[in-house]
Amino acid sequence: MQITVTVNGVTYTHDVEPRLLLVHYLRDVLNLTGTHIGCDTSQCGACTVLLNGKAVKSCTLFAVQADGAEITTIEGLARDGQLHPVQEGFWEKHGLQCGYCTPGMIMTAVDFLQRNPNPTEEEIRHAIEGNLCRCTGYQNIVRAIQYAAEKMRSGS
Amino acid sequence: MAVTKLFGAAIKRREDPRLITGRGNFTDHIRLPGTLVMAIKRSPHAHARIVRIDTSKARAMRGVVAVYTGQDLVDKLAPVPCAWLIPDSDLKLTPYRAVAVDKVRYVGDAVAVVVAEDRYVAQDAVEAIDVEYEVLPAVVDQEKAMEPGAPQLYDEIPNNLAFHWKLHVGDFDAVWNEAEVRLSRRLINHRLIPTAMEPRGALAAYNPGSGELTIWCTSQNPHVHRLLLSAVTGLPETRIRVIATDVGGGFGSKIPMYAGEMIAAAISRDLGRPIKWIETRQENYVATIHGRDHIQYVDIAARRDGTITGVRVRAYANMGAYLSTAAPGVPTWLFGLMLQGAYAIPVIHCDVYGVLTNTTPTDAYRGAGRPEATYLLERMIDILARELGMDPAEIRRKNFIPKDRFPYTTPTGLQYDSGDYEATLNRALELVDYANLRRQQAELRQQGRYIGIGFSTYVEVCGLAPSQAAGAMGFQGGLWESATVRVHPTGKVTVFTGSNPHGQGEETTFAQLVADELGVPFEDVEIIHGDTEMVPFGMGTYGSRSTAVGGAALVAACRKVKEKAQRIAAHLLEVSPEDLAFENGRFFVKGAPDRGMTFQEVALQAYLAWKLPRDIEPGLEATHFWDPVNNTFPFGCHICVVEVDPETGKVDFLKYVAVDDVGNVINPMIVDGQVHGGIAQGLAQAVYEYAAYDANGQLLSASLMDYAIPKASMLPSFTVDRTVTPTPVNPMGVKGAGETGTIASTPAVVNAVIDALAPFGIEHIDMPLTPERIWRAVRERSS
Amino acid sequence: MKISGSYTIRAGRDAVFARLTDPQAIASCLPGVEDLNQVAPDQYEMAMTVAIGPVKGTFTGKVQLADINPPESYRMAIEGQGKPGFARGNGIVQLRAIDDQTTEIVYEGDVELGGPFAGVAQRMLGGVAKRMIEQFFSCIERQMGASA
Repeated sequence: MQITVTVNGVTYTHDVEPRLLLVHYLRDVLNLTGTHIGCDTSQCGACTVLLNGKAVKSCTLFAVQADGAEITTIEGLARDGQLHPVQEGFWEKHGLQCGYCTPGMIMTAVDFLQRNPNPTEEEIRHAIEGNLCRCTGYQNIVRAIQYAAEKMRSGS
Repeated sequence: MAVTKLFGAAIKRREDPRLITGRGNFTDHIRLPGTLVMAIKRSPHAHARIVRIDTSKARAMRGVVAVYTGQDLVDKLAPVPCAWLIPDSDLKLTPYRAVAVDKVRYVGDAVAVVVAEDRYVAQDAVEAIDVEYEVLPAVVDQEKAMEPGAPQLYDEIPNNLAFHWKLHVGDFDAVWNEAEVRLSRRLINHRLIPTAMEPRGALAAYNPGSGELTIWCTSQNPHVHRLLLSAVTGLPETRIRVIATDVGGGFGSKIPMYAGEMIAAAISRDLGRPIKWIETRQENYVATIHGRDHIQYVDIAARRDGTITGVRVRAYANMGAYLSTAAPGVPTWLFGLMLQGAYAIPVIHCDVYGVLTNTTPTDAYRGAGRPEATYLLERMIDILARELGMDPAEIRRKNFIPKDRFPYTTPTGLQYDSGDYEATLNRALELVDYANLRRQQAELRQQGRYIGIGFSTYVEVCGLAPSQAAGAMGFQGGLWESATVRVHPTGKVTVFTGSNPHGQGEETTFAQLVADELGVPFEDVEIIHGDTEMVPFGMGTYGSRSTAVGGAALVAACRKVKEKAQRIAAHLLEVSPEDLAFENGRFFVKGAPDRGMTFQEVALQAYLAWKLPRDIEPGLEATHFWDPVNNTFPFGCHICVVEVDPETGKVDFLKYVAVDDVGNVINPMIVDGQVHGGIAQGLAQAVYEYAAYDANGQLLSASLMDYAIPKASMLPSFTVDRTVTPTPVNPMGVKGAGETGTIASTPAVVNAVIDALAPFGIEHIDMPLTPERIWRAVRERSS
Repeated sequence: MKISGSYTIRAGRDAVFARLTDPQAIASCLPGVEDLNQVAPDQYEMAMTVAIGPVKGTFTGKVQLADINPPESYRMAIEGQGKPGFARGNGIVQLRAIDDQTTEIVYEGDVELGGPFAGVAQRMLGGVAKRMIEQFFSCIERQMGASA
């Protein structure tokens, strides 16, 4: 089947198998390997991307379901060499160790802060429930998101 | 010790820019043209004879390039060796082939392999393979496996007993007979699944022209994997290159040699094409090692004043279906040697039975043996305190090894390097406001609310060493680490380290060390790791050894470089080397600071070699293999405060305080992060995670849907603090921080929950303390 | 996993027994059965699609009836293999006449799953198995009602 998607601002048209998962399309066809795969039951959230601005687990969608959509992956988050405040927060607050869950975690946080610019710690912990991290114990991820929230509020 | 400006600074990590922008170099990101995808057919039975394998349907599928059974690979892959041959234990080795030939011994054992053009076809082909099994009775429980008449995994290993290890120090029977208090309990330290977020995988590329195999794989110790790959494939080490630059977490699970990596290597060699194999999470759960799984019978002898006079342990360790790479060392040395913990216990008597069962093999998982020892001791000391009506803090204080007795030789033969155990206890008591907390606890009980305070005053062993001791323990390797420091003509520095960090941040902390030692800018230091073609040799990253051992190698290599630079500078400045001082990256004549050369100027001269002392070679680099004189022993006190709802069994975390002493700290931000993550994993064992098997050997918690690794909302924030007692074992005075949290937190949490339930007369519940288990325990006591 | 329960059908015991052991009835009433062929006395081969939670798969296997003791009891063993793993079940079915027109069916057995299926679906197995058994009996009851 033919699909046309815009990923990180670039429009692509490809013939894909109907059963091809979106995450495999991004990784194997577009070579955007920043979107990771950590499970096969949609629990871990490592594959989270923004689909029309909303965070989705790209392993739960077929590529054909994304036909016509606009997708942002971790590679497209920084603009003109400027890190997104959430990326900056993860760096500043040591919100990552091995870095494997990080792209998905960051994309989830970006979506969440659009909807809730001034979250409590509890709201942040709830918002990232669909993303698993095995290294950090989440404490510094929470701080990273708080940092980003503050920065985005004062910056915009 | 190098106390200069970067040591101790919370510098942001230099690994982060690539990882937060999606540009990490994880194994599955590497693409090579012509790559075929490999998938493994795994046994759904825990114990069965393979009667027949029909691969015809799979072979006929479009896009399938080859199918291999165990028989097809017999000549291409030798059995996997075990690398920890513990002496005097009647150790029986389990012949283990990457792909089963006659019999499968656990759910997940490989039975056939498919190579195809893409991953979807490979998966279809795996499902199209027909395997006929003759199902055999299975045994899952290690105690049952030793009983007469139990199913036998190997004809040549009676009663499934792989080894029986003993460590008997002192006369336990005598202290037991004299004891004023005797306690005997059975404790279960249940099975866990490491769950590194990146599953394991490999991309093997054999070049038929050059005869070289390059393999990218998820490895904590690439050189060890190169050695083992050489052993199983027959290729010389000189023809194998292992690359593991970015690895998405390991926690011990990426130390061993596994089937997948070696099959990929063998098939790439067979077909002359790159082969990629990336396991699914469900494969990861059955075919990557598990951890813990002890049943322990513990006897504690004590006096009425709380002094512990002896500990006796009989432990049954579930080894799974075969002995994984380092597995025999985990429940023996790493467990038994630490059975006195932080206490001056004179008599230790330990018997460990390593038992084979029809389950996934176990091996080192974060803490590896030390959590099992610490949990046992910290749990028993709480039970003893309650028996004697003593405060859990005070009974610990009573038994601590006092700070004036360091270095302290334990009955098990270790030498604890340095310590002040009471200081961490005092600091933690202060941070939780202990006296007030106890008062609050009493008041709340009046209102029918149950809060509990749990302690864990642990000591653990890091940076296992020296190599001579490793040899005496039967470890088939040395436990040193290597570093090469190469200064370029411009004064920029490349460091090649044998450590292979995969989240621990040594690209940053090692650069801090080098910048300090050589007085060069942090930005001028490049850290290279995880490539056997670039790093001379390395033993890898595990057991909290990288900073204490790998960092020490690095500092020693830097000092060699500096010594040479100083001689060159002295020659050029026409003074003797002793007349030079070194500050802020510059050599200068003592008393005449204007006469000097920067380190960079010296580096250039070293390469120009126009005017060098006669006995000095051009160039500026040094390699050091650091073999420490001893292990390091971090310690600390963790206090957990919980509230338990007896109606539902739910545990709420009110406070968690960790006061650790890991010696000097290079980067406090990174150490805090290690402690957080460690606590999270240990806490999860206490209340959430459990690798459950049914009686037939089916893993019930075989996916992230059922195995409860904690989500953000399931964990509290931790208060972390430190005391600093440097170790004399290495020049930096650092001990290691990777596992302290995991070792300490499990008993702290369990002790807190049991303390909360004290009014119900509950003295112990085996982990994990799920709402159901707590609710049942409360029900039993209330009825 | 042990599974047990009972089901009451408004029909006489002999008739219920005959229907329960009739291959046509089994084929039409066992949920998900796509194909059932007799290969020996009291032994059938079948293909069956089962969905448990997120996992769905087609199993091919055998149904075997044994210890047939009309109209009181019989044993039934089901064994299937498929893409998601294997499933095995073994149980005894007993019929008690409550009166001439009412029969209570009491069943008791063991169900075992293996392979990836077991890891993902085990937690939901009890509920699913029970529901399938009830669907089977209610289908039998409907058929008997229709034929009566």
